Amino acid sequence: MPKLNTFDVVIKTGANGPAALPKWAINGFVVEFEQSKGGNGPGETFEGTANPGSFPHSLLIRGPESGQWDIEETKVTYYPNGESPYTVRLGAARLDEESDLNIWHERPQAVFDV
Amino acid sequence: MPSWFSKVFKDKNNAATGTRPPLGGIDVSEDPEPETKPVPEKRRLLVNAPVLEDAVETAAWSADVRIKARVEKDNSACVLMVDRPILEGHSAWFPSKLKAGTSSLAQTLFEIDGVETALIHGFTVTLTRRPTMHGDWKQLAQEAGNAIRAHLIEGLPVVTPEFLDGLPAEDAILTTLKRVLDTEINPSIAAHSGEIALDRVEGNTVYIQMMGGCQGCAASDVTLRQGVHDAFRSAVPQIGAILDNTDHSAGKSPFYKELPVGMS
Repeated sequence: MPKLNTFDVVIKTGANGPAALPKWAINGFVVEFEQSKGGNGPGETFEGTANPGSFPHSLLIRGPESGQWDIEETKVTYYPNGESPYTVRLGAARLDEESDLNIWHERPQAVFDV
Repeated sequence: MPSWFSKVFKDKNNAATGTRPPLGGIDVSEDPEPETKPVPEKRRLLVNAPVLEDAVETAAWSADVRIKARVEKDNSACVLMVDRPILEGHSAWFPSKLKAGTSSLAQTLFEIDGVETALIHGFTVTLTRRPTMHGDWKQLAQEAGNAIRAHLIEGLPVVTPEFLDGLPAEDAILTTLKRVLDTEINPSIAAHSGEIALDRVEGNTVYIQMMGGCQGCAASDVTLRQGVHDAFRSAVPQIGAILDNTDHSAGKSPFYKELPVGMS
């Protein structure tokens, strides 16, 4: 796994979403996004930027402190050190106060036309 | 040092002040009775959302057959994704050119240097190559794409009627494979607390589920390919695709679902 300088996340919330803004976690440490806009209430879209500057062995979006969070889609753009950025899109997920969303994904295999 | 790092450790050190024994010795200070017992941090569940892929653009039938190729992460196979169905309702697996007599498309694919096996299923053709072949897949994939495109444009059948007539009934496949699981596969993986079950058979396509220690295990793909595939195909040579229908992050005891206390 490469050193991850920065990542951007865009989270579209479905029918249920917490009032508080989401946090992210790296290797067990929960951290607030350094830049963010939007929200994660029902139907809202949250955009956040974080600067891990480290080698993650786990990278997560922390579940809400209470209630359910229905995520429709999550888009994560990774900026690894010394490599070109890449984006991974994730489908629906439901989080609660005891769960976190895994957002650490390797660069997708390239698809080419033949 | 990352900006989040100093903030996290500053908070942790602050929180620990007054509770940590002095360095290098025994804490001789009075140990006041705690008013409340510390509550252990709850184990948290790791949710893995499906990774969305941009599907190959499907369009109305036209002479322009669009094909994309993707090489598996371990470089073991190349999946060619076509913008239209190649074989619907069934799947066809060919272990060699000699056994590809019921498919002119497979025979053409085996003409390409290095092709070892071919699996035709739905919108895809999956090729493996001989272990002596190294380097990238681009040339092989390009030749395979050209062969598939030419075959589809000519409107040739992918498999012969004899291939379809020779397929066992779904119930017969299910019964035989269940016996293989009960007598060969599951006893051997029980030592790892693993279990494999048949989910369903559609045509000659087999869907399985991996449970217990197999679920979420990083080696489950190897188990599937090297163990289950060989045993299943030995018992029923006519089966096509064998697909793992397991959600490797769900269930009661997936391999990597729970993280140690304190991890999130």
